[in-house]
Amino acid sequence: MNRYVVGGAGVASVVVLMSLTWLFGSFSWALATTVLMAAIGGGYYAYRQFQIKFADHLNADQSNPETSTSRTSASPTNTSNANDSQSLARKMLDQGRYTLLLRPQIAESIPPKLLQRAQTMLDDEMTLVPGGETIVGKGANDSPDLPDHLDGRIVQVEGFYLDRYQVTNEQYHRFVENGGYEQISLWDPEIVPALLDFVDLTGEPGPRFWKNSKYLSGQAKHPVVGVCWYEAAAYARWVGKRLPTDPEWVKSGSWPVPLPGARPIQRKFPWGEAFDQNKCNLWGSGHGATLPVDKYDDGMSVGGANQLIGNVWEWTSSRFGAWQSNSSPLVLDASMRSIRGGAFDTYFETQATCDFQSGDKAIARKRNVGFRCAIGICDLIPDQSMQAEDFPAQVETHELAEVAQ
Amino acid sequence: MTKRVLVAMDSYRLAECAVPLACYICGVDNNYNTELCRHCAAPLALSHQARTQGVRPQMVAVLGTAAAGKTVYLGMLLDMLTRQNSRVQVLARGAFSITLQQRTMMALSTCRFPEKTPNEPDRWNWVHCQAKVNSKKNAMELIMPDMAGEAILEEIDHPNAYPAIHSFLEKCSAVILLADTDRIERGGAEQNYFLMKLITYLSEQDNRQNRGKSTRPVAIVFSKADRCEPCFDNPELYAREKTPNLWQQVQQRFTNYGFFASGVAGSVGFREEPGEGTSAVPLRIEPRGIVEPFEWLVRKV
Repeated sequence: MNRYVVGGAGVASVVVLMSLTWLFGSFSWALATTVLMAAIGGGYYAYRQFQIKFADHLNADQSNPETSTSRTSASPTNTSNANDSQSLARKMLDQGRYTLLLRPQIAESIPPKLLQRAQTMLDDEMTLVPGGETIVGKGANDSPDLPDHLDGRIVQVEGFYLDRYQVTNEQYHRFVENGGYEQISLWDPEIVPALLDFVDLTGEPGPRFWKNSKYLSGQAKHPVVGVCWYEAAAYARWVGKRLPTDPEWVKSGSWPVPLPGARPIQRKFPWGEAFDQNKCNLWGSGHGATLPVDKYDDGMSVGGANQLIGNVWEWTSSRFGAWQSNSSPLVLDASMRSIRGGAFDTYFETQATCDFQSGDKAIARKRNVGFRCAIGICDLIPDQSMQAEDFPAQVETHELAEVAQ
Repeated sequence: MTKRVLVAMDSYRLAECAVPLACYICGVDNNYNTELCRHCAAPLALSHQARTQGVRPQMVAVLGTAAAGKTVYLGMLLDMLTRQNSRVQVLARGAFSITLQQRTMMALSTCRFPEKTPNEPDRWNWVHCQAKVNSKKNAMELIMPDMAGEAILEEIDHPNAYPAIHSFLEKCSAVILLADTDRIERGGAEQNYFLMKLITYLSEQDNRQNRGKSTRPVAIVFSKADRCEPCFDNPELYAREKTPNLWQQVQQRFTNYGFFASGVAGSVGFREEPGEGTSAVPLRIEPRGIVEPFEWLVRKV
């Protein structure tokens, strides 16, 4: 490319030199003018090159061929903006905030390759739970073990994605490291005055049992604990998700089978009806502490969510008591939020089922309560890969219709 | 004319009465086939077992105010020790020893606390078990009753009001004192005074023989500590700061003492019971710090 530019510039210079010689009648004057014009042109070109390189350096994005292609084709101002947004998108992917890129408002301005990467991350890290009815509370299995205050109600749930694993220390550390505790916009307004209380053992911002805003060594893959409901909700906002609602959590674990004209059939545990202590980390397992989130693969739900039962309780977005019986209601703290799934120290297996609900104060930062995130299908752009699969089928149907005619 | 009538010889009954059975708790003689001691109402099954096994069981008292959590603590402790073979193993002696465990666990599993222990001694649950600590060669026979808090208070204020408590505390070789952390946190001094009374009572029982400090091991357990997390971090510091009188008394009167924190419910709600006021409802069960005080005591005994 540069060869042709130099050649063209040389030919143009000769033509200009000859024209000026004819015009001035003096070769010396013509040569001097040509050199001057070439110097001005070269200087301008060098200035533009420097501008582009400086912008590249700022974005730390020089090695990517994708960026350099767009840079040469776009105008200088547009190129700079595009680079900024792309590097930001990449940074978000590295931080695990892929669902932000899959929002309809944002996806339009993201290159297809990055969008594809975000979609792959979504498929890898989240499970799709289809919409439908679920029974929340007592009545799911007419279980006599459940306490009186839990009532059973049928709730309609829209389709959503749920994290396959509980949020780990490593993931939460990215949030802390990127100033999650300082970004007021992430937090519920009522809790902002109390943000200074959310510190670790050394007084730094972070979960209660961390030190110097860092998790303990060897616990990167363990679920983050010592975070209150507000911290969980703020993290979920930061990654572009939300906490699952109580019915959503139940649906993802019990995976109801709809029956025409009857209540749906639900599983007691994600793996089936019978308790199996080899499929979850409860008190009876004898570990006495949290385990990495990817343990107990055998206990995963039908959709592929791991450790819905055991390891740590999970915050949901719902208020505790929302489904309690009217006949024997509890007098509860207004801030109590629903938690689900049981933890490593849950003593009774009957209190670690899909239909058992417990609660805790929203500001409680306990060693056995963590969380996972969810996002509605309607909040994301349609899955491109699924659309591609649908397309040939439609064509095939059309062809068959033509034959029938 | 007199009619001859055959009369059955009941002399074997007289023979039974002639061989008395001493109550293991208070020492009073009872009929051989009586169920409860006529003096202190302790089950005579304890005496039968002690006699047939030829081993004299040790006694461990679990004391505290009413609703301090004695029943829950004992029931949970026994269930944990029988369910998992950890550092301490427990084997129940006699079916009656499992009643307390059964009642407590049935209630807790359905998010209820067990009903309050009645004041009448004949309705208390007595646990007789064999405890084995891994580091010790021989197993130990233990008797642990679940006594009503009001009865304990009555006995302390008016000694000999409850012969079972009086005799038991005199003979017991170790004591677990439960302090209700929830009530301490709410600022009430009731726990402080009750425990000070108990400590005075116990140490004076010991000082009849010698005038120095009591060597009887005492575990002071802050129950319901799940409602006060710092208590778990350092129970002794908690005692020093929140119950200074208790801490001073224990230091001055006992040589073998330890401070512990325990909790059973992960979270608690409340329910208005018609005519009975407010009752606590455990929203889930997460035992914590239950075995540690017991293990410490068994090693000391």
